[in-house]
Amino acid sequence: METEVKNTTSAGAATMAQKVETLPSERQTATPEVKMSASDLNLWYGDTQALHDINLDMYAREVTALIGPSGCGKSTFLRCLNRMNDLIPQVHIKGNVMLEGEDIYDPSVDVVQLRTFVGMVFQKPNPFPKSIYENIAYAPRLHGTGTSRSELDDLVESSLKRAGLWNEVADRLDTPGTELSGGQQQRLCIARAIAVNPEVILMDEPASALDPLATATVEELIHELKDNYTIVIVTHNLQQAARVAGYTAFFHMGRIVEVNDTDTLFTNPKEQRTEDYITGRFG
Amino acid sequence: MQRRLTGSANDPLIRARYRRESRFKAYSITALFVAFAIIVAFFTDIISQGYSAFWRAEIEVTLDYNERAERIGRFAIPEDLREIVSRGAVRSIPLQIRNNPALAGTSRTEWVPVYSRIDQYLKGKEELPPALVRQVDELKAAGVIRTTFNWAFFTSGDSKLPELAGIFSAAVGSLLVLAVTLVFAFPIGVMSAIYLEEFAPDNKLTQAIEVNINNLAAVPSIIFGLLGLAVFINTFGVPRSSALVGGLTLGLMTLPIIIISTRAALRAVPDPIRLGAFAMGCSRWQVVRDHVLPLSLPGILTGTIIGLAQAMGETAPLIIVGMIAYIPEAPTSIFESATVLPAQVFTWASEPRKAFVEKTAAGIIVLLAILLTLNATAVFLRRKFERRW
Amino acid sequence: MDKKSFSQHISRQYNEDLEHIITRVMTMGGLVEQQLEAALDALVDGDQAKGEQVVTSDYRINAMEVELDEACTNVLARRQPTASDLRLIVAVIKTITDLERIGDEAERVGRMALHLLEEDRRRSPMAEISALGEQIKGMVRGALDVFARMDAEQAVRVAQEDIKADAQYDSIIRHLVNDLENNPKSVPPVLDIVWATRSLERIGDRSRNICEYVVYFVRGKDVRHTSFEQMAEEATGDRH
Repeated sequence: METEVKNTTSAGAATMAQKVETLPSERQTATPEVKMSASDLNLWYGDTQALHDINLDMYAREVTALIGPSGCGKSTFLRCLNRMNDLIPQVHIKGNVMLEGEDIYDPSVDVVQLRTFVGMVFQKPNPFPKSIYENIAYAPRLHGTGTSRSELDDLVESSLKRAGLWNEVADRLDTPGTELSGGQQQRLCIARAIAVNPEVILMDEPASALDPLATATVEELIHELKDNYTIVIVTHNLQQAARVAGYTAFFHMGRIVEVNDTDTLFTNPKEQRTEDYITGRFG
Repeated sequence: MQRRLTGSANDPLIRARYRRESRFKAYSITALFVAFAIIVAFFTDIISQGYSAFWRAEIEVTLDYNERAERIGRFAIPEDLREIVSRGAVRSIPLQIRNNPALAGTSRTEWVPVYSRIDQYLKGKEELPPALVRQVDELKAAGVIRTTFNWAFFTSGDSKLPELAGIFSAAVGSLLVLAVTLVFAFPIGVMSAIYLEEFAPDNKLTQAIEVNINNLAAVPSIIFGLLGLAVFINTFGVPRSSALVGGLTLGLMTLPIIIISTRAALRAVPDPIRLGAFAMGCSRWQVVRDHVLPLSLPGILTGTIIGLAQAMGETAPLIIVGMIAYIPEAPTSIFESATVLPAQVFTWASEPRKAFVEKTAAGIIVLLAILLTLNATAVFLRRKFERRW
Repeated sequence: MDKKSFSQHISRQYNEDLEHIITRVMTMGGLVEQQLEAALDALVDGDQAKGEQVVTSDYRINAMEVELDEACTNVLARRQPTASDLRLIVAVIKTITDLERIGDEAERVGRMALHLLEEDRRRSPMAEISALGEQIKGMVRGALDVFARMDAEQAVRVAQEDIKADAQYDSIIRHLVNDLENNPKSVPPVLDIVWATRSLERIGDRSRNICEYVVYFVRGKDVRHTSFEQMAEEATGDRH
């Protein structure tokens, strides 16, 4: 009888409660492997500090979402991870970002090489105004990872397949990449990033310029890529973060307010500011 | 039912608004009409004056290579026609005989140009003495004088005789000058622009350079002529009047235009293309070479063509470096004295003889045609290669 | 957690939607309380009119459940609520289910009261049943109060009242079993009373559920199927 369970066997109830508690952690791998991590990262644009003491671990074969209001520093942080900020004059950085034990800001690190390990996909699909084939073959040829025509053919095919675009473009690899639809263009950009065989893929609002259907295909692709790559994604779309990410970090005014597994962050955030942001109470 | 959407019918405010609008529209249309009328008047005037220069009268004469003609070419012409045939047409007969003695004593019939005043009379532009008028009219009625297309205008150089003067040497001069300008200004301009736009840090120095380049584009062209005179002729000893010095001088003038238009073309390449390339692990030079330059090339070429077209129409700086010389023979190298089309037009315009008026106008027509072609090419290039991304 | 926090969204329409849902839940709760009150009157005092009223009025509670379910579905579809908003909607959906069940139980109590009118009620432990009824009424009121104020600590106290209700229920059942052993002819009326008492006890459980939903909403912790100690710990301690 229910009453008796409640009243008399509190020990049994406790075991049950423990079981309920352990459920979410069972879904994650026992101890996730850290692929990239930022520690005490500070960044200034001239005299303005844009990032304050960022500490964040990004796990291998997981999607980490960075959310937060505009200007909170999430994109700036993302660009720290493959040193795209180097292109902006007057940026200076303190702290470090480790890629499997190597500090990517070490003076001996070659930025060009780093970017072959840490690829990037941008907000607006930006295929090169070249053929679909050339879009993908360009970087491998540049880096000498694919040289012969047959090697490149294979690479183009496998990259397009991984990006879920092969079936749609197999018969028109010579048409310009810019003639594809928005969602296809973005998947082409992802295929282009994959072709260099990176370990980490950074995505800066990859679906914000796409319609819901194209967004869904890109999200599905992210979900599949997760098995082989470490993905860090910046998004303004909270539902998207909730859908694709295993871990979510909330940025506000250049600081990380809260990092947690996505389930917890979206159902029961620790911080009031996170709560206010994800429930739409900022004003 | 009360109608509320009848507007101007019963609302004075709306009526006034429409009145102001139509008045403004009328001003604009008037302005456009005036501008258009000026252009039409200009073209009508130039073409009506110049078109006749593309035709010339010729006369069929029997040239007699007699002994006197070996010294003076005029004596090869029958005596009654000596007033009518161009002196220039037979000037080379003594030379021909000397080079080919077999010609001596023979005779042959040829169409040769008529004296410029006769030509002008036939075009209805000049009066002649009554006796001559009668003779010319008779010859014309007999079919001995005909009017043909004036190929010589395009194939011969300048001449003191209007009926023989052509634009060939000036055109070759222009071509050589433009070639020098292009070779000098294009690489320097494009490279400077690439450095400034893609590589240079944004600091006080590059900003100062940018301001100065923009100012340079607004400097009067004659100043560039003086600069060319001082630097190229006086300092470096480049031959005066040569296509080389003219081209270098015009190159100085064209340089800021090429730099500015190249920078604009580079800036028009969207940043996501660059970022995408950087994110693939491209170095800066690879980004420029593989992505930015191919995309901006049409814009760069367009700017260059427009710069060259401007240089081609330029006269003042070339006068300063001596390119206003009388050049009957087309130059064969950039070191020889040369003149250019606008300078040739200028020379003809200062000739007092009436026959040169139509030459001047025809020169202007050719110049305009070339400039319009160049600009049309620029527009075509821009249209054709304009990228949508 | 500020109990008014659901009214601070940037979207005013969202605030209004949530406020409307809360108001309707409170209205539904008030209706349930009325039904319970009337059912107890019918049971304890033998008030036939109230018994009939309970039986015929249950449809109103059912209708409100349907309406609130729809309102919650709409918020889920339109707003994709997260964090406390999501927990609020989940808590509301569960609360109205329990309220509807309380309504059903009250209806059953009313029905049993009508049966009992035709029976001999003298031997029934009416004083004890009345006391249980008051206890249960208090719990329902307490649960609704906790819901209205979203007060997690009070929720624990109200939930703990269930211990007392269960004890009272056990005592009544023992009494009735005794009675049956001594007087086997009284089976039909005693069974009615057992059913009615059983319904009252279930109402207590459901009130406790509502309190647990409030703790879930406020603290983000699921305290169902846990001990009261754990529930108290989750409800009063610092968050996490």
